[in-house]
Amino acid sequence: MNKLKRADAALAIGSRLLAGLLGGYVFTYALTAALAQVLPFNRVDALLIATLLSFLFYTLAIIWAFAASSTWRAWLGVPLAVPLALIGFWPQLLERLA
Amino acid sequence: MMTALCGALLLAYAGMLALCQGLERHYKQVWGKPPAIWLRRSLRAAGWLLVGLSLYASAQAWGWAMGPVGWFGLLSISAFSLALLLPYAPRLAVYWPLVGLPLWGVAYWLAV
Amino acid sequence: MKQTFTQSMAWLHTWGGLLFGWPLFAIFLTGTLAVFDQEIDQWMQPEIQRQAVPVALAAERAVAYLQREHADVEPWNIALPNERNPGLKVTAGDRRRGISTDLDPQTGEPLLVRDSAGGGFFFHFHYTLNLPRLAGIWVVGLVGLVSLVALVSGIVIHKKLFKEFFTFRPNKGQRSWLDAHNAAGVLLMPFHLMIVYTGIIIFGLIYLPAALQALYDGDIATFYEEYIEEAPHHHGPSTAPLAPLVALGPLLTQAEHRMGPLSGLSISHPGRADALVEVRRVLGNRIALTKGQNMVFDGVSGQLLAGPPELRPSVLTQRVMFGLHFAQFGGYPMRWLYFVCGLIGSAMIASGLVLFTVKRRRKYLVEGRAQGVGDRLIESLNIAVVAGLGVACIGLFWVNRLLPVELAQRAGWEVRLFFVLWLLSLLHAWCRPHVQAWREQLGAAAALCLGLPLLSLLTLAHPWAESTRLLVELAVLGCGLLLGWTAWRVGGKAEQNVARRSPRAVAEVG
Repeated sequence: MNKLKRADAALAIGSRLLAGLLGGYVFTYALTAALAQVLPFNRVDALLIATLLSFLFYTLAIIWAFAASSTWRAWLGVPLAVPLALIGFWPQLLERLA
Repeated sequence: MMTALCGALLLAYAGMLALCQGLERHYKQVWGKPPAIWLRRSLRAAGWLLVGLSLYASAQAWGWAMGPVGWFGLLSISAFSLALLLPYAPRLAVYWPLVGLPLWGVAYWLAV
Repeated sequence: MKQTFTQSMAWLHTWGGLLFGWPLFAIFLTGTLAVFDQEIDQWMQPEIQRQAVPVALAAERAVAYLQREHADVEPWNIALPNERNPGLKVTAGDRRRGISTDLDPQTGEPLLVRDSAGGGFFFHFHYTLNLPRLAGIWVVGLVGLVSLVALVSGIVIHKKLFKEFFTFRPNKGQRSWLDAHNAAGVLLMPFHLMIVYTGIIIFGLIYLPAALQALYDGDIATFYEEYIEEAPHHHGPSTAPLAPLVALGPLLTQAEHRMGPLSGLSISHPGRADALVEVRRVLGNRIALTKGQNMVFDGVSGQLLAGPPELRPSVLTQRVMFGLHFAQFGGYPMRWLYFVCGLIGSAMIASGLVLFTVKRRRKYLVEGRAQGVGDRLIESLNIAVVAGLGVACIGLFWVNRLLPVELAQRAGWEVRLFFVLWLLSLLHAWCRPHVQAWREQLGAAAALCLGLPLLSLLTLAHPWAESTRLLVELAVLGCGLLLGWTAWRVGGKAEQNVARRSPRAVAEVG
């Protein structure tokens, strides 16, 4: 592989790595918070159920980052995290706005 | 507890052995010729039955809460030992539960 | 270059497996050894002898000693003799940093016991890699997460998972390494998935406090109050009037009746009217981890004030997951199952690491390329992490017997020498040709294992007076035989066969 192709490949790998580890973290954080808010249980139960599942989500998010058909799509978790975070943290958001 | 435990281990190994011999490539590995369809099916059925009995024996040894956990461990270790033993000593791998299981049966009957 | 799902997973498994396989092997091996941490503790502190002393008497002796020597330093902690830990140990002050003394449970007099890192070192290393606690927890968590990814990607790329379920073809070079790696992986998959996931869950709220932030605004104190019913406890010194401490015997009997065998107790504000006695049970009566779920008694009247707490289903589920990882339940048979599965798991990781270099060597042979510095580094790291860590671990046992008993900061020196041995193995691996390096290091580990009983004989008056020490040495002998056989096999026929075979097109195996 010539130098340009190698740089391209390295950039792609680096991007997917960050998408998986950092992007995946952001996505999982938001999803876990959203799940905890939405689950119709006592808050101890909701916290535990959401947290116990969270690492499954994180694992799948990392798999996604490397399986996605383009390096742009690998970052899908980050924009998805926004609505999830709104669901997860709406009480805190309301307090800020009030 | 030890009787149930040994029983669970023997049953797990025997079950894994039957399932293994139900696969054409491993039957050929031991006996040199491919198995008949009815034999394959019987071996597989026997295998699942023995594996199920192993769960029961595990539960006798550890109770029904811890039993399934121990059962998975016994299944895995039996299967791994079998996989390692087969290429080196295929006849031994097959024959020892044929000796071990009845021996254990006697021990169990004596303990009861 | 567009890749298929399988191709991208193969890349992820290969490189994630290689880079994170090194710390993962260290975590897995030390975790496996930590299954028998208290037994190793016993082996490393042979001055402590098992005595048939009733728990109540041992407790009274401990209290008498504490009243004599440390009446004003509280809380008092007493570790009681039990099945896995026959010693009586008192601590005045904070449990981790206070003044600790080993006592003879019969006489209540202090024992001179060598300060040792013990089996507890393997446990501590397992979840921190000997880094500062929080940093170590995060690093180990990351390694655990990548291990989950490696397990999932490994399943995805294993095309013939069911067809080759029992397949192992020895003496065929790369094929054999892949078969071994697959067998150790697939056949123990329930164990691998369980142990890695439950391991990550233990510090799950540190890694991902999202739900805590969302539902509690991060207020962990409130969460803990709702999580498990809190037992009364003290902060700071007492202002209550003096009052004699209750007799512990009936308390301990009541606690044992309710919770099973006891591991110890803490007394806060002893000798005061507001004294509290918190009694702990030996872990493993049930799968769920019962750490911190104790019975609290009034220290003057002996009345039960709280505990053991009832767990709500979600909490019970979480504690069961912790318990599955801690492996304290099910007695010695279960412990041995975990140990053997841990060894096979370590072999899975090691065979994966070796497979990487075997594949690479074969590829270079076909392409007529020479090894680069990077490849040599990978080879050396493989040897140092797998064989070198083995040498360091058994080396710790040797160091424990050889260092003088009265040496100051002895435990620290044991750990230092552990790392010195490990570092030396890396240097050795870098300087020697790889096959010789493997043989020599595996051989060294085998020799140290097989020589352990001789060492005990030479350094102790009654090396095997305790059955636990005997069993530990028998287990070490077993490991020595395994290591010796491996050392003998390395560089044997199989390797020579691969070298002699004429170059063919390299087939990418799934």
